[in-house]
Amino acid sequence: MRYVCSLLLACAVALSLSAASPAPAASPLKIGLAAAVSGGSAASGEAIKRGIQIAIDEINAKGGLLGGRKLELVIRDDEGNPAKGVTIARELVEREKVAAVFGGLHTTVALAQVPVWHELKTPYMGAWAAGTNIAQNGKKPNYVFRVSANDDYADRYLTRYALDTLKKTKPGLLLENTAWGQSNEVGLLKWLAERKVKHVGIEKFNWNDPDMSPQLLRLKNAGADVVIMVANAPEGAQVVKSRAKIGWAVPMVAHWGISGGRFAELTGDLSDGVAFLQTYSFFGKQNERGQALLKALKDKYGVKGPEDIIAPVGTANAYDGMHLIALAVAQAGSADGAKVRDALESLQAPYAGLIKTYKPPFTADQHDALTDDDYIMVVWKGGKIVPVATK
Amino acid sequence: MLVQLLVTGLALGSMYGLVALGYHITWVTSRTMNFAQGTAVMAGAVVAYGCHVGLGWPLLPSLAVTLAALAAYGIAIERIAVYPFFRTASPAWLLSTIACGIIAENTAMLLFGKDARAFPSALTQQPILVGGAGFYPQELLIPVVGLCLVAGVQYFYHRTSYGKQLKAVAWNAEAASLMGIHIPRAVMAAYALSAVLAAVAGVLLAPILNVAATMGTIIGLKAFAVAIIGGLESAPGIIVAGLAYGLVESLVAGYLSTGAREIVGFALVILVLIIRPWGLLGSRPTRRV
Repeated sequence: MRYVCSLLLACAVALSLSAASPAPAASPLKIGLAAAVSGGSAASGEAIKRGIQIAIDEINAKGGLLGGRKLELVIRDDEGNPAKGVTIARELVEREKVAAVFGGLHTTVALAQVPVWHELKTPYMGAWAAGTNIAQNGKKPNYVFRVSANDDYADRYLTRYALDTLKKTKPGLLLENTAWGQSNEVGLLKWLAERKVKHVGIEKFNWNDPDMSPQLLRLKNAGADVVIMVANAPEGAQVVKSRAKIGWAVPMVAHWGISGGRFAELTGDLSDGVAFLQTYSFFGKQNERGQALLKALKDKYGVKGPEDIIAPVGTANAYDGMHLIALAVAQAGSADGAKVRDALESLQAPYAGLIKTYKPPFTADQHDALTDDDYIMVVWKGGKIVPVATK
Repeated sequence: MLVQLLVTGLALGSMYGLVALGYHITWVTSRTMNFAQGTAVMAGAVVAYGCHVGLGWPLLPSLAVTLAALAAYGIAIERIAVYPFFRTASPAWLLSTIACGIIAENTAMLLFGKDARAFPSALTQQPILVGGAGFYPQELLIPVVGLCLVAGVQYFYHRTSYGKQLKAVAWNAEAASLMGIHIPRAVMAAYALSAVLAAVAGVLLAPILNVAATMGTIIGLKAFAVAIIGGLESAPGIIVAGLAYGLVESLVAGYLSTGAREIVGFALVILVLIIRPWGLLGSRPTRRV
């Protein structure tokens, strides 16, 4: 059956090549986005979509790729559900014939999709989900690339910030009671052990817990001088409120989950001074791409300014990811999945991107374009995100 | 540490009691209840959020609209999910009230969204610090309002003529009906009151817990446990059980671990069910042989 199919396909290709009428080069080159664009994490999916779309507009304005083929974004909703994620992954590749696919916020979905990209030989660009083994999946060749954070690096970064920048010696850990919290518990314990620092306690909380003061009190009584927190926005807000309630002015260092929702709205002034990790900040001085991106966000999506950008890391990561894919397609001279994958791993020209200058972004062993050298620490101040010096 | 846990526990506990009172009110009138009582808590918070934050109305008109809306919600639940089965003495209201709750919750998700939103209150701006403990004034308001409402409900049932009528319906619907009590109306009134109490709990909680479409589920479940522990027939028993449950939760979370909280809490429920199936302060039902 497969043989017959490929024979038919070969005939079709031969026919289309021999036809003198409109060159197939004019057909659009499709890029997929498989992310949560509905539900509680819809903001992240929307942010990623904006980053890709603005990059695509820039590329199309310069005449597209492969001799005039315009790029076109095809979006499918994974609903945060791994099974749905696998279904839409197949649909995007097999029916929509996309050249590459972007992924969304959920580590669980991204992990479930890893085998699909390898089976269908389609490059995948992670724009949010930080699970360490999404990109470090042990496959050879590896079709998964990522312009985003990675839990393992993030944990090292948070550890360093707490110990070196804040000069604290007794960290207490406060983690959400989920697979994501678990993955960070492993990472944080590993990096604390490497520094021969003993934590004073590990506390957990469930989603929708109303009050975090018992956990904080236990860390306080154990003598913690800094709290490293892994939480999403709603629970992170409850932690900050409880911290104010028990009158404990302990410094807090957080993973980036609290930036994916309405943390500032939920906490008001109480969030002042809470530090957390980002890959990019639209506040402060912007490079050329940053200025162009802010303008495009304003013109196309009515974003008034940096404080108005929802889930900013999604837009920043996806924007650079899309340009990297475009460079790889250009270098490969083809939209074939295997060739684009090879090109991504061996991009020759350095790319001066939004987040940094990638030279090169990926190698055969490193599929995370960003490492902890590229992360920035930011802090809430009056509802705004302000970068802090970390070195 | 202890003072902190006690304050937190009392605030949580009085809120459980307040919601549990809603089960009591419909139970004594009709021997039915809204199993999705937690959804009414959420609906109260969401409607108040819509008026106060969404439309920018002042607090008092927002509260008035919220309470009226929730009274209507209670009546709707009774008409749609209870009344058809109440007439035929079928226990299908168990499932139909849960179904209504799920519909209401998903409607809230569609209209309000799945994100938690902040509900501003002057009473959660600054915590009051006393010794090593701190609390928000709002957390003190909850027990105060809770106790006042219990007293009000007790007064209504024992001292007012209409309250006595409602109770009479439960004791003997046929006799009550013969005495000129309009039974369907009495049951509707009980459901409206029950939903209004839940709405009060929702509005009081909103500044502390934030407003979310899913906020009511676990509160409703724990409040049901509280109602059973306290005794469905006994309003004072329910309040005592609510406070006790809140304190146990808070102390277990503080001294053992947060993971043990639900385990200990619900284990106690089972224990009470075995030892005193009629509830802590409920009276042992007399059986005529």
